[in-house]
Amino acid sequence: MAKEFELSRETFLSLAKAFGLDTKDPHMEELYAFVQKVLPSLRSIDDLDLTGLEPTWPLTSLKE
Amino acid sequence: MDSKELCYLSAGQLSRLIRKKEVSPVEVIEASLSRIQSLEPALNSFITLLSEQALAAARVAEREIQAGRYRGALHGIPIGLKDLFYVKGVRNSSGSRICDAFIPDFDSTVTARLKEAGAVLLGKLNLHPFAYGVTGENEEYGPMHNPWNTSLITGGSSGGSASSVASGECGLAAGTDTGGSIRIPAALCGLAGLKPTYGRISRYGITALAWSQDHAGPMARTVEDCALFMNAVAGYDPSDPTTAGLPVPDYVMFLTGNAAGLRIGVPREFFESPLDSQVSECVWKAIQRLAELGATVSEVSWPMYRESMAIASTIQMVEATAYHSKMIRDEGPRIYAPARLRLEAGVFISGADYVQAQRARTLFYRKSRDLLKEVDLLAGPTVPVPAFRIGASSIQVGDQKLNVVALLTQYTRPFNLNGFPAITVPCGFSDQGLPLGLQLAGRPFEEEKVLQAAYAYEQATEWHLKRPPI
Repeated sequence: MAKEFELSRETFLSLAKAFGLDTKDPHMEELYAFVQKVLPSLRSIDDLDLTGLEPTWPLTSLKE
Repeated sequence: MDSKELCYLSAGQLSRLIRKKEVSPVEVIEASLSRIQSLEPALNSFITLLSEQALAAARVAEREIQAGRYRGALHGIPIGLKDLFYVKGVRNSSGSRICDAFIPDFDSTVTARLKEAGAVLLGKLNLHPFAYGVTGENEEYGPMHNPWNTSLITGGSSGGSASSVASGECGLAAGTDTGGSIRIPAALCGLAGLKPTYGRISRYGITALAWSQDHAGPMARTVEDCALFMNAVAGYDPSDPTTAGLPVPDYVMFLTGNAAGLRIGVPREFFESPLDSQVSECVWKAIQRLAELGATVSEVSWPMYRESMAIASTIQMVEATAYHSKMIRDEGPRIYAPARLRLEAGVFISGADYVQAQRARTLFYRKSRDLLKEVDLLAGPTVPVPAFRIGASSIQVGDQKLNVVALLTQYTRPFNLNGFPAITVPCGFSDQGLPLGLQLAGRPFEEEKVLQAAYAYEQATEWHLKRPPI
């Protein structure tokens, strides 16, 4: 199972500030709630066995 | 032929009349502008209308054709571009007032190739802000309205492209598709819409959403028109290093009406996902029709289909945040609220998680490629529900209340992740008279097979001939 998603308010604000968001904006509450809701749904990737796989290089053509 | 009839001719039909000089490009463009005048702002398809420029271009096309310099099937055909394809000297809003002042000084490659083919640009079309949404709602320029029922969504993000073509305002339109933004509105508005293989059409000069999942493609009233668009636009572009240097076939040559010998797989996962019963019924009938046309149909399982949503979303969120990072910092409060939340959320996905998602993408690509060794095409619904009310944030399907974005993209997004070509074609109507779509997808750079099957189905049915009551 994917590990439980945890993002404390402190870490959230720290990352937001590092990116350049205004952490005093009241909108941050809404963003925090949104992130808490959306990001856990992305953790299913943790359950995949990616041994030996390299990333798809995003900016190259699919031609093989 | 009256003006409205002229507007509802397909690009293919129009081109044959123009070539024979039975209809002039000026006549066609005047009819289109008259149609636009009668339907706007009810549909709200356009952000920028280029009436004078279009008439001037039509006169040039007319002179060229009269002088024997016929450029090909798109010569004199009225087209629209989603307002994120750069057009030299014309505002490129990307669906937001924030970008109102941006006037590109060059054409996108798609724009340039369509101009070279002689197509006449009517204007820039409305979209979900920054193409980051799937309903076609837009607070700043106003929502796009579905021609089949103007209180309902068009779908998005290429909503103006869909409403303009479905209503006969434009003959053909260009859209972009990062999670379904060509196919979703095309399905909900009763059109054909093709997302080609990643690397088949240049992205140069198009506002990005997520570079590695963005695709440009046609939205049209017929499959033939999609093929004509591809003939004009597809192919290598030195300005876009992700385009493939592979030969581009004449796609029209594959429109034989024959589906015999095609092996079609129907992923069972499609029908285990939330799905409206009317959509399910129509799609099964469409698949049955393809079998009657000679295709071999079998049920298949698509490994990692469910995980593909999380992988694609992770990649999209990070790339969109990176692309728009300056705007997020400088203009945050001015960004359309739902798009702002999604753009900012990408800040909280780590670099390691992004790379993990790209590794998972490699695995998904391989699984998809292996599946398409067993069959030539995959078939299923394009969108699990018909169009719904503008402003709805969740939709009831059976006993489940579902988030709109996740629901509308469940069948389209996997093909943005693996980059495989996928088309939607009309396959029926709901009890409320709303169009429904069949999605057909194929192997990378085999658009011709996708078009072949879609055309065979289209020609065996009459769904594409129905017109909205507007």
